[in-house]
Amino acid sequence: MTVALERRSLLGAAGALVLGFAVPLPAARQASAQARQPVRPPMTGGAGSLTAYLAIAPDGGITLYSPTTEMGQGTWTGHVAIVADELGADPARIAVENPHPAAPYRRDVGAGPAMGSGGSWGVRYWYQPLREAAARARAALVAVAAERLGVPAAELRAEGHHVVHAASGRRLAFGELAAVAAQRPLPDSATLRPASELKLIGRGMPRIDIPAKTHGGTVYSIDLKLPGMVYAYARVSPVFRAELDSFNAASARAVPGVLDVVAIPGGAAVVASSMWAAIRGGQALEIRWKPTPHDAITSADITAAMKDGLAQPQGAVARNDGDVDAALRSAARVVEAEYEVPFLSHTPLEPWNINVRIEGDRLEIWAPTQNQDRLLNRVVRETNWDREKIRLHTMMQGGGFGRRLYEDMPSAAVIVARAVGKPVKLFWTREDEIGQGWGRPAQMARFRAALDAQNNVTGLWVRTAGTSMARDFNNFQGDLDASSVQTLNDTRYRTGAYRVDYVRRQAPVPSMPWRAVGATQNGFFMESFLDELAQAAGKDPVALRRELLAHDPRALRVVNTAAEKAGWGTPLPAGRARGFAFVESYGSLCAQVAEVSMENGRPRVHRVVVALDCGSQVLPDGIRSQVEGGVIQGISTAMGEKLEIAAGRVQNANFDGYQLLRTDEAPTLIETHVIESGERMGGVGEPPVPPATPALVNAVSALLGRRIRKLPLADQLA
Amino acid sequence: MPINLTVNGRPHTLDIDPETPLLWALRDTLDLTGTKYGCGIAQCGACTVLVDGTAIRACVTPVSAVERQEVTTIEGLHPENRHALQQAWIEEQVPQCGYCQSGQILAAAALLTAIPKPTDADIDSAMVGNLCRCGTYPRIRAAIKRAAGTGA
Repeated sequence: MTVALERRSLLGAAGALVLGFAVPLPAARQASAQARQPVRPPMTGGAGSLTAYLAIAPDGGITLYSPTTEMGQGTWTGHVAIVADELGADPARIAVENPHPAAPYRRDVGAGPAMGSGGSWGVRYWYQPLREAAARARAALVAVAAERLGVPAAELRAEGHHVVHAASGRRLAFGELAAVAAQRPLPDSATLRPASELKLIGRGMPRIDIPAKTHGGTVYSIDLKLPGMVYAYARVSPVFRAELDSFNAASARAVPGVLDVVAIPGGAAVVASSMWAAIRGGQALEIRWKPTPHDAITSADITAAMKDGLAQPQGAVARNDGDVDAALRSAARVVEAEYEVPFLSHTPLEPWNINVRIEGDRLEIWAPTQNQDRLLNRVVRETNWDREKIRLHTMMQGGGFGRRLYEDMPSAAVIVARAVGKPVKLFWTREDEIGQGWGRPAQMARFRAALDAQNNVTGLWVRTAGTSMARDFNNFQGDLDASSVQTLNDTRYRTGAYRVDYVRRQAPVPSMPWRAVGATQNGFFMESFLDELAQAAGKDPVALRRELLAHDPRALRVVNTAAEKAGWGTPLPAGRARGFAFVESYGSLCAQVAEVSMENGRPRVHRVVVALDCGSQVLPDGIRSQVEGGVIQGISTAMGEKLEIAAGRVQNANFDGYQLLRTDEAPTLIETHVIESGERMGGVGEPPVPPATPALVNAVSALLGRRIRKLPLADQLA
Repeated sequence: MPINLTVNGRPHTLDIDPETPLLWALRDTLDLTGTKYGCGIAQCGACTVLVDGTAIRACVTPVSAVERQEVTTIEGLHPENRHALQQAWIEEQVPQCGYCQSGQILAAAALLTAIPKPTDADIDSAMVGNLCRCGTYPRIRAAIKRAAGTGA
């Protein structure tokens, strides 16, 4: 069996592979995709373009056109490792760029092809297409070398950035071969290298973007300066979704450096010769917004609406196995609990900004986006700009966490650039970034479990209630938002009869995907309740999970690995407790044990042990890095994060009020144990987040001897 | 009135409002964009620079307050970008998105100047003002210890 076949199976669920594009598409879309011309990436210096993903210049420099946005998650380095290994290239001579959206760079995971980065797809989705593209490029280089050297291709090997004829010791550099190879049709397919030849995949390499990030050399979107550029601070309403009433530009224009004030949808852009002048002008601007129906809404109102949702007799049913009502009626004991999490902000450290330049009928956009086609589509829809005359440059991101799936005000930037006739950077301050909402939705859940006389679980009903994120983000009009039941509807736990349903109670706070999305709140709910259920049944929390997963060796291995590596059940120093959680999301299974004590009334996390089954790995240290960051983000949400809402707006819209975890409260010891199960490759960026929150809260609840059912902990411990 | 500013060893005369925060003088006027805007209220540390070797938050420091003092930004920490901390940051593979890391490295540089062999508590108090949303705190700690020669 060839490696190609083995690896192909990793991506089987993503759809059939279409060679020539090397992008999996659903069958219905294959015909139209094949009818289009293959895309050649933009070339410089006579570079040889081999597939849409690779160009090799005469000096041997390789440009890899990565379909994914680099937000810090490391997928660019993953893609370099994949391509370098398969091609036989020196990874140090591969530079990565994001191309303009086009068919080869779009992925389709069920919602139609689109270029974007999310769902922890960056490596698991592109692993196979990039390997195949590199293998075909290698075959093309070898074919040209075979002609030049007058030897059969079978006697040649691609390694060290050369095609080598071992028998004669002759070698030709990739750069010498690429121009000719690029003139010819690529081979339709090529055999992938066997695992024994892989040097980087599974072993890793240093991150390509790290050196520049240690000396200020990385140009983020907010850093970009175009010749003649002006800076537009967009004043928008602090009350969610309010429309502009009126503004008086005089006071803003009086600020030195302010050039203009331009009306934009939802507010006004104060245009200045510098960012600071624009901010000052924006602060000076007299502006009013129209009233909204939610001008007085508070966090307590949102909670009350969600409680009402929990109390409804019927919900939109996501799953219904067996007869839950009968199980609850006939139970020896019913265990019930309600949980709540607040709206959260993504808070990437780089606030939202977008750069545009108009030259004649051409529009160029430089944006910190992780959702390229969505941004492009919106600009076309709102401005009627000819799509073919737009060029989108994706910038390095100062953090994403889902935030950059949404594009704020791209058309406003176009409006301003037209009005002032200059390139524009339109931007927000931190207060706008947090204050506009666009975070993870608040949600509540109620669990009712049936225990029989022997304390076996015979039924479980999970009701969730809250904002439909998909309604805000994708104008989803259905009753059942998948993210509201994510990880609940497809849990591996077997609880006998099982029902999951959802009642929508829409808050005016705009919501969208937030790293690990519905898995974060639902993972917290389920894993908290399992600890309560274990306590009610007189069982050890891990033992209960083993019972509910007894049918599932893969899940058991993850649970057992975390428990064993953490010393679950072994004595701890006085005042310490362990908390356990297991959540599967984005194709990977993750179990965590947090070891916690209380210091001065605050939790102190001493150690977190993580077991992650992501099938197989490309960059082991990259995975560890994502696990560490994910654990810390999960702990951060448990400890102090929430949007405090009153008077229709966010009250804590900067870091003095929105509490991110800081280094003095972060665990210093996070141990990552990756399980290479050989199952289909899973995601890595998101799966470590969901278990971190309940693992901590379960430990804290054990320490306090009372159950914490509402986050953040800071409010419950005060 | 012009402001005389020395940044990374080079003198500059800037014709700007003396109340302009140093952050914006660096970014807007001197094109030194390695110093980042994160919050504007000295809560995130992304704008951290050194003034005579001490870490300050450039977003709330008027440019007039640092006249006649030595301002060091990430671009000027080492002539070849090979300060012990920069090397340790690479060896420990610290950055993820990297946006906060200029400020993190400069806060750490000020720490090591004041306390060459910092304890964990020293690191906590020196670095608590620098947020990292990616969660690179354990690696930052390890890199500081590596640069200080105190091991991981």
